[in-house]
Order: sequence, then structure tokens, then C-alpha cells
Amino acid sequence: MFAVMKKELKSYFLSPIGYIFIGAFLFMFSIFFYSEVFNYGYTNFEYIFYSGSTVLTFIVPLITMRTFSEERKNGTEQLIMTSPISITGVVMAKFIAAMLVIVITEICTLMYFAILSHYGMPDISTTISTLIGFLLLSMSYISFGMFASTLTENQIIAAVISIVFFIYNWFMAGTSYSLINMFSKFPYGQIDIADTITFVTFIAMLLIISIIILQRRKSVR
Amino acid sequence: MIKVKNITKKYGSFTAVEDISFEIQEGEIVGFLGPNGAGKSTTMNMITGFIEQTEGEIEVAGFDTLKNPKKAKKNIGYMPEGVPLYYDLTVKEFVTYMAQMKKVDKKEIKEKVQKVLKETGLEDVQNKLTKNLSRGYKQRVSMAGALVSNPKILILDEPTVGLDPKQVTEIRSLIKSLGKDHTVILSSHILSEVSQICNKVIIINKGKIVAIDTPENLENKVSTDNTIYVTVEDNENKVEQVKGQIEGIKEIKLIQENEDKTKQYMITGEEGKDLRKLVFEVFARENITIFEMKKVDVTLEDAFMKLIEGGEQ
Repeated sequence: MFAVMKKELKSYFLSPIGYIFIGAFLFMFSIFFYSEVFNYGYTNFEYIFYSGSTVLTFIVPLITMRTFSEERKNGTEQLIMTSPISITGVVMAKFIAAMLVIVITEICTLMYFAILSHYGMPDISTTISTLIGFLLLSMSYISFGMFASTLTENQIIAAVISIVFFIYNWFMAGTSYSLINMFSKFPYGQIDIADTITFVTFIAMLLIISIIILQRRKSVR
Repeated sequence: MIKVKNITKKYGSFTAVEDISFEIQEGEIVGFLGPNGAGKSTTMNMITGFIEQTEGEIEVAGFDTLKNPKKAKKNIGYMPEGVPLYYDLTVKEFVTYMAQMKKVDKKEIKEKVQKVLKETGLEDVQNKLTKNLSRGYKQRVSMAGALVSNPKILILDEPTVGLDPKQVTEIRSLIKSLGKDHTVILSSHILSEVSQICNKVIIINKGKIVAIDTPENLENKVSTDNTIYVTVEDNENKVEQVKGQIEGIKEIKLIQENEDKTKQYMITGEEGKDLRKLVFEVFARENITIFEMKKVDVTLEDAFMKLIEGGEQ
């Protein structure tokens, strides 16, 4: 399982995908940073993440669309599925690898925190709760993207399915039927138990569905 | 080593493989033979655990593939059809990754990877990306990936498809040498290949086993007739008339008339009789000039066609 994770992570950075993901996110993040800090004079690092969550709509599919679709199309799934690794292990490995890309991105955003702390006193505890919340949000997006990838061998279709779901979350952001809404309390320093549990259950549910789909395919393939 | 008991694979109402049973002993090189879509790959995929059978049991190295999949899979090295590779990895990285996935001991990985790269002749290209390799090399990389964990059983799906003749010979001799310490199963629709490499042939057609035997036995099974081909110059059309003069003849049939006015006949004799001497003598007496005469050996090709046609009727 560790080997699969390592290879997946390596693939993200051997191909441009990992860099495009991080680059695109940081680019948009800088624009939000610029407009909020310079135009409105907020010294708030956390709100930028709330705006940043919309960027995930277009970049998460970049890293998740290939997870299973590509393996299926290239036939390399035959290599994985005939190895003595469980499907659960494979799904978890790919999930963690994608999650690490998000973690790396979050670490990169700390430079904005550093800029702010140079000129003011940003709050550390709300920053931490924001980063945790943002990671949970990203992880649920990833789990959905991976689930979409198990459905088809066409990466584009997998990406479109994910984007449609993410746009729904974006447009419904004000209501309680949106994952972004679950994230909305984190930038205020609240780690809401209900929201956290909803995130975790959502992630677990989609990973389990992905595992079941892959397992089922063995008998119908 | 491998026991397959009454396996059936159904896709909805379509039956891809129907009630197949066979056993493969340690050290055998077994060839799966059959036309396209006969169920070769399906059967192999079930043994490797890539797909599950609808009914029946498969035992690999003593482990049931459904109840104990991890242990069964550990004993198998598999080279899938169409040689799928991870194109963003180099040859060495790919083989190392396969070793890790096959749970090779961490300390041994480096050594084993080097050994297998040497065996498959990939040392020179080990740092190249797999996507930049030629088809023949890709095939070898795939083979190296299957071999690296030193599995007891090697399953090779169409190992020589798409290679040039030189590469085919190389891969064949590689497989032959592998047969010394591994049990090998390969699928092919090239008959000469199977008869050269394998010591056991399983012929599959339309999802059913038509025959299991050694290549020699299969050839013998169908060699009942005793046929020779002669090409003659016969301007007076005497060949048909001399039939009565040759003892033990069953049939003379004109096959084709060539442009140089020679004709080719097929002469079938009774079982166990070599007609060549008699034909030569009689034709000489009748002033029929023989340009060519050859006795036909029944090949695996004929055995195959006969068995498959027999199964369809």
C-alpha cells in the first residue's frame, strides 16, 4: 500500500498535474489575497480560504480524474488487481496521495501567513482551524472525484461528473445542502463537531462506495 | 500447481467460458490455444484473480483464488495482453514498483530488480521512460515485471504478439529457459509457437476445452490419412487413368493447374501405406514427368483446425 501511495505521489510530480494544481491554486489564492488585503484592508488570512474553496471546483478533478480511469484505460489495473494488495489498500493509497498534494498546497499558502505576520498579528488558532477545515473540504472533494473516476474509463467524463457536483456545492454554498457550507464555520475558529462528522462520514461513504464498485467489477468485468 | 475445477464465466446471458476443468503440474509449460474470443484471456484472468468466475473453483499453489486471494496472487507473475505499463516511470522504476506490489522483501528488491533486468536484456535501457521504448522492449519490461518476484507460476497472455521475427525468437527462447524453474502458462493463436515451446496444449474454442494433450499426441490423433502431393507435366491427361495401376490408392484429386502447364494432384492412399515409390514407378512408365512430390506431415495446424471444426459440428 505504501508503495502504491509513493508511486501515485511521484506520478503527480513527474507529470505537470501536481504543479498545475498547486500553481493554479496559489495563483487564485494570490488574487484573493490581493483584493482582500489591499482593496478591503482585511488582515485576515482565513477568509481567503473561504474564497479559495471555489477554486477547488476546477482543480480537484485534475488530480482525481486519472486515479482509476487511467489505470483502466491503459490496462495497468490488471497489474494492480493481480498483485497481493487489497482493493481497500489501493483506494486508500490513492486517496492519501491526492490528500498529500493538498497538504503540500496548504503548506505553500503559509507564505501568505508569513507576509501577514510581518505586518500584523494574524490569529494562529483560527488559521489552524481554517487549514483543518479546508483539508476536510478538499478530502471530501477528492473522495468524490475518485468515486467519479471509478465509474468510467474516460477521464474527461470523470472530470465532468466531479465538476458538476462541485459547482452544485458552490451555488448552494449558502444553504445547508453544501459541503462549502460545512466549511464556513472553520475560518471563524470554530471546529464544529456536526460539520466535522459530516465531512468524515461523507469521505468514508464515498471511499467505501468506490471500493465496492471496484470489487463488484471483478465479477462483472 | 494449478487446479481448475468446473469454472464457468457468464456475462449476463453470454457464457464466455463454460465448465472448464484442467490441472497443471509443476514445471510444465502449457499453451492455451484457440481462435480469438475463445476464452483464453478470460480463463487466464480468472486464474490471476483479475476477474471472478461465476461458478467453480481455482486453486493456485494450494490456495483458493477466492478464499485466499493474496497468497494465490503472490505465487503468480502475470504479463497481461497488450503489455500495460506505467508510462511515466522508467524501466527500473517500473520493475521496482512491481516488486514492491508483489511484496518482495525490501532488502532483496534492489538485487532482484538488477537480476531480472539482466535476464531480460534491459540493462542498457533501465533509465529510459517506458513510453519511449519500442514494442519489443515494452514486452520485455512487462515480462520483467512479471518475473521480478520470482513467482512459481508465470502467466503470459499473447507474449509474442506485435514483435518482429528476431524478437519473437528471443522471447521464445527466454520463455523456454524460464520453463526450467517456473510453471508457465501462455496463450497464443500461433500454433507453431505453441508446438515449439510447450509440452502441453489446451485447445479452447467457444469457451469450452476441445483437447488437452502434448503437441505430438495431438498431431498423431488426427494423422489418419496418408496423403502426398505431386506436381506433374501431363499433356495427355493420363494421371486419372493410371489410378487402377497403383495399388492401395483411395483418391486422386486435381488441385490446381499451373501456368507452366504442370498440374498438382493430391493422392490419398490407404492408411499406413507409403505410395511414393509406386507412384514414381507408374508415372515413369506412363511418361508422366514428376516435377515435385511431397508427403504431407500433419501439423498442429491441421490438428487444431480439425478439432475446432469437429467441435462446431
